[in-house]
Amino acid sequence: MHIMEGFLPWQWCLIWWIIALPCLIYGLYQLKKVLAADREALPLLGVTGGFIFILSSLKLPSVTGSCSHPTGTGLSAISFGPWVTSVICAIVLLFQSLFLAHGGLSVLGANIVSMGIVGPLAGYTVYRLLRDTSVNMYFTVFLATALADMFTYATTSLELALAYPAESGGFVGSFVLFMGIFAITQVPLAIVEGIVLALVFKYIVALKPDILIRLRIFSEDKINSARGDAGAV
Amino acid sequence: MFEELLEDIAQKNALREVNPYLKLTAGLGALILCLLSSSFIPPLCIAVVLAASVLFLAKVDARTYAELFILPLSFAVMSVAAVILITGGQDVFWHCDLLPWLSLSVTRESINQGVYVFCRVLGGMSAMCFIALTTPMTDIFSVFRRLRMPEAVLDLMMIIYRTIFILLDQVVQIYSAQVMRLGYSTYRESIQSFATLCGAAFIASWDAGDDLVRAMDARCYAGKFALLGENRPVERLPCLAVVAFLTLSAVVVMAAGSFTLL
Repeated sequence: MHIMEGFLPWQWCLIWWIIALPCLIYGLYQLKKVLAADREALPLLGVTGGFIFILSSLKLPSVTGSCSHPTGTGLSAISFGPWVTSVICAIVLLFQSLFLAHGGLSVLGANIVSMGIVGPLAGYTVYRLLRDTSVNMYFTVFLATALADMFTYATTSLELALAYPAESGGFVGSFVLFMGIFAITQVPLAIVEGIVLALVFKYIVALKPDILIRLRIFSEDKINSARGDAGAV
Repeated sequence: MFEELLEDIAQKNALREVNPYLKLTAGLGALILCLLSSSFIPPLCIAVVLAASVLFLAKVDARTYAELFILPLSFAVMSVAAVILITGGQDVFWHCDLLPWLSLSVTRESINQGVYVFCRVLGGMSAMCFIALTTPMTDIFSVFRRLRMPEAVLDLMMIIYRTIFILLDQVVQIYSAQVMRLGYSTYRESIQSFATLCGAAFIASWDAGDDLVRAMDARCYAGKFALLGENRPVERLPCLAVVAFLTLSAVVVMAAGSFTLL
C-alpha cells in the first residue's frame, strides 16, 4: 500500500518531490538513450508499465487475510535497470492514483522515491551481485524481488517516521513503530511476492526463453541449463 | 478481485464536456488548500463540497463513490492511530512506557493532530477522486502535451494506458477460468495459479508489444503519436463556480486558522 493522499504535510511532499526529480530526469536521459539505440524498445517498455499496473491491481493471496498487492517493480528493474524503471514507475503510480485511487498526487514524489527508486535499486543490486555467480537463477529472482519489496516498505516507514517523529525516542522511535506495523503484513507479503515472481520467471523460461535472452537478463547457457532440468513445469 | 477502473466512470460522467483545465484547477487547487490548512475544518468542507459535486453534478453512483473510500480510509485509521500514540503533548490522558526508549501516550495535542491528519486525508482523497472521476486520462494527455512534457514520456504513458485495458481483459478471462477449475481452492494452489496468471500476463503483454511495433511501423511511426486535442470551450458558469469554490475555500482556510477539536 502506498502512502495515501493528504497524509504527509506539504513540506515533506515538497522534499520528496525534490529528491525524486533528479532521479527521474536521469531516468529520462537513460530512456532516451535506450530509445535511440533501439526504437522497438518503446512498446516493450510500455507493456512493462502495463504489466506493473495490472500486477499491482491484482490482490495477492495473503496469509493474514489482509489484501495487499505485489509491486512488480523487481521484475522491471531486472529487465531494464533501475533508472528506466523509475520513470515507468512514476507513470504507473500516476495511473494508480487516477484509476484506482491508490496513493495520491501530492504524495506522488514520496511514493516514487520508495517504490520507484529505492526498491528497484535494491533489487537490481542483488541481481547484479548474484547474476554471474553459480547461485540458482530462480533464487536470484526471488531474492531480488523480495528485497525490492522490503526496501520499498522500509522507505515508506522512513518517510512516515520523518513526517511524524515520536515524542520520546524521536525519529528512531516512530521509525521502529511504523516498521513494526508494516512488518506484520508486509514481510510475509514480500516473501510471497518473491515466490510468485520466481514461479513467473520459471513459467517464462519454460514458454518463452527468447525474451530473457534478448534482454540479456541471464546468460543463454544458464537459461538453457535451467530449461534442461526444469522438465515438466 | 478486480476493481472497476475509475477511468471507465470518468469517460461517461456528466461533467465530461467541461474544459479539463477548469476541472484540474478545481481539483489541484482544493488539494493544495487542504495541505496548506492547519485546521481540520477546511479539509472537511472541501470534502463535502467535492463529494456533492461528484454525486450531483457528475452523477456518479453513490455506492461506487463510497466504496472508493473504504480501503484508503481503513488504512488511514490505522496510521492515524499510530500518529496519535507517538505524538506527545502536555495534557496526558493515557500513558504507557512500552520500551525504555519508546513510550506511547494519548494526549489532547495528539488527538487534535490525529483528527487533523484524518480530515486532511479525507479532503485530499476527495480532491483526487474528483479529478479521477470527472477528467478522463485522454484529456489529461492533451493537457500534458500543452505543458511540454517530453515526447518520450508522453508516448510511454499512452502505450501504458492502452496496454492496461488489453491486459486487464485477458487477466480477467484467465482468472475466471482458473476459479472455475478450482485453481484457488487451497493456499498452495492459489500461489501456483497466481504465478501462472502473472506469467501468462507477462507473455501476453510481450506479444501485445510486438504487435504494436508492427502496427506502428506499418503506419510510419517516427517517434511521435498524433493526438487529437478536443477543444472544449471555457464556459462562464463552470468557470465562475470554480473561482467561487476556490476563493471560498481559501477564505475558510484563513478563517479557521489553527482551530482544533479539543
